[in-house]
Amino acid sequence: MKKIIIIKYGELTTKKDNISFFINTLKDNIKNALININHEIIFDKGRMFISTENYEEVVEVLTNTFGIHEINIAYELDNNNIELISNNLLELLKSKEFNTFKVNTKRSDKNYPLNSMDINKKLGSLILNKFKNKKVDVHNPDLNINVEIRFNKSYFYFEKVKGIGGYPVGTLGKGLLMLSGGIDSPVAGYYALKRGIRIEAIYFESPPHTSLNAKNKVLSLARELSKYGGYVKVHIVNFTKIQEAIYKNCPHEYMITIMRRIMYRISERLSYKINAKVLINGESVGQVASQTLTSMRVINEVVKIPVLRPLACFDKIEIINVAKNINTYDISILPYEDCCTIFVPDHPVINPISSLAEEYEKLIPYEELINEALKNIEVIKILKENKKFDNIL
Amino acid sequence: MVYLDYSATTPVLPEILDSYNKVTKDYFGNPNSLHSLGTKSKELLNEALKQICDIFKINNKELIITSGATESNNMALIGTALSCGKKGSRIIVSKLEHESIYGICKYLEKNDFIIDYVNNDSDGVIDFEDLKKLITKDTILVSICAVNSELGIRQPLKTIKQIINKENPNIIFHSDMTQAIGKVPVILNDVDLASFSAHKIYGAKGVGVLYKKNSVNIKPIMYGSSDNLRPGTPPLPLIVTLSKALRIATSDLSKKEAKIAKLNEKISLSLKKYPKILINKTKYSIPHILNISLMDIKPETFIHALEKHQIYVSSNTACSSGKISAAVLNIYKDKTRALTTLRISLSHLTSNEEISVFLNAFDGIYDKLNKLN
Repeated sequence: MKKIIIIKYGELTTKKDNISFFINTLKDNIKNALININHEIIFDKGRMFISTENYEEVVEVLTNTFGIHEINIAYELDNNNIELISNNLLELLKSKEFNTFKVNTKRSDKNYPLNSMDINKKLGSLILNKFKNKKVDVHNPDLNINVEIRFNKSYFYFEKVKGIGGYPVGTLGKGLLMLSGGIDSPVAGYYALKRGIRIEAIYFESPPHTSLNAKNKVLSLARELSKYGGYVKVHIVNFTKIQEAIYKNCPHEYMITIMRRIMYRISERLSYKINAKVLINGESVGQVASQTLTSMRVINEVVKIPVLRPLACFDKIEIINVAKNINTYDISILPYEDCCTIFVPDHPVINPISSLAEEYEKLIPYEELINEALKNIEVIKILKENKKFDNIL
Repeated sequence: MVYLDYSATTPVLPEILDSYNKVTKDYFGNPNSLHSLGTKSKELLNEALKQICDIFKINNKELIITSGATESNNMALIGTALSCGKKGSRIIVSKLEHESIYGICKYLEKNDFIIDYVNNDSDGVIDFEDLKKLITKDTILVSICAVNSELGIRQPLKTIKQIINKENPNIIFHSDMTQAIGKVPVILNDVDLASFSAHKIYGAKGVGVLYKKNSVNIKPIMYGSSDNLRPGTPPLPLIVTLSKALRIATSDLSKKEAKIAKLNEKISLSLKKYPKILINKTKYSIPHILNISLMDIKPETFIHALEKHQIYVSSNTACSSGKISAAVLNIYKDKTRALTTLRISLSHLTSNEEISVFLNAFDGIYDKLNKLN
């Protein structure tokens, strides 16, 4: 019997009409993620099967792939004859240590002469006969013996590895993530990826007020996110002139409001250019002055594009926990200044007034500045692996 | 030249030397500087460290770069003694450790710590019952090497850790893994602290690692501008060679081991024709090290005779040359056997032809020196 990895799809099985598109996208994502590991994939509407020699590495990659509900390392038998199933299973069990067990059978071939319960009973009694002192325990067995009977083949597995669920990245189209160096925005990106959104990121830098370190930090965050999607394109906007103009000309309590309004405008225009359907950001209600409901409304009203705020109703501590789980937290807390932490007014307005924001931003030629910024965007494609130092390391 | 002393140190691989040169020249900025030269170095530093962490599946906070295994051993043992000294004063070590561990133990003994030496069985594996007996509530640290440097005996670290945990979960478990890394698969997570060097795996001399599990607290033995356990400007070229050496050394381990096992067998078979020569090997010895006892011939004489043919081997370890082999004495309880050891250490770079050249020279020298007796 050969070893094989079985993948059970997540929520995508509920999508009736475009199920093939979902499964094909998942297959492509897995193929990309396993590009450095020898493997072979076959699939049908219910399961995907991967043959490889590097089981551990493949399982590790799969546990970071959205659209997967469960992963099993199974033994494949090229037959579904019940006698052969019994003999092979008993042989496999010789090397297993257990006192109690349970047999769970699934058959996708509904014309199979025995039903699942019959098979459970048959295999169970064979095991009890063959191995002394073993007992059946259907509630809390030492060993779960899973048998799946499919057309012409059968599979045995004993452990289930939980997948991270979600939809395959890319199945829901593209979104533009407003990525700062903070804790929240990478987590927002993670949730967007989880729901199948391919993300590109926009980052505003203000050299020399912000440093190369700050930019590298954002690129490192993008690299962590690229583990889920294979790659993340980062669009880097030079925001220095705009930020300086706001600082010089606008009332300081409205500085952040106006800055955010201009960032939204730039992001929306970039979205149209790259065909992103939504903006995504890490805003969380009430966290800072620009994230009060009034601020959100006054800032959001300058764009038409929908803005997803996956973290809108999360507590900070919840966000931090997720950031730690996805390895972005340690990068996020590196102490480099970003656009939002330089030129911070002492008392930013908590309840900005729309008409005032409009009036104040007219004090600078923002249309002209936005167009200039859009013309000079630097794009960096971040891959899961950093190839930059390949020849050195 | 036939080099058969890979357990003492290894030649630096050309591609690793290239990286050393390139980084020394092109990445000279201090990784801690704010300007772009510093950032460029920092980026490379982070990537080099990340590569090491990925290889061992550890967190970057668990990786401390040192000047080599001896420094790592010092940090581990003295650092633990400093942080846990109030909890207890007993430290357990095996009888198969590298000299550097015993040197540190002597220092700690002078500072009122008590060192307990755990027995091993006739195969060299730690005697679990003896270990259980030695563990007390006063025990703060156990240090057992992953692979012994003279006989290549490999210890079941995971089992040892389980025993320690059961007897006294507060004990910190350290392992000197210098002879294991790049030879056999290791799981750093099986221990609390681990030491190793780059120069045993075709990297540069002067750089090594102390692995420290996140949950473990030890005190620094050096102080400087940062609050890191090991302050100082990171030696970027050395760290890069360490990272690259680890990447290369830890790949294809089983293929390399299979090749080395064949070479080992070839020598062992050939030496069988000399009834006096004894092979010092237990079922837990790794094939990379072949230890023999010449019995009638002084190993120093033999080493110098081989050297004339440009063949290089050791008597026991490079760090205890000229002394009696403690490991051989421990296993075989035979003084002559322990005084006349030759350690032939092999690499996947060793060729079949080199072994033939070695055996040829060996035969000539042995016949000549044997006649003198």
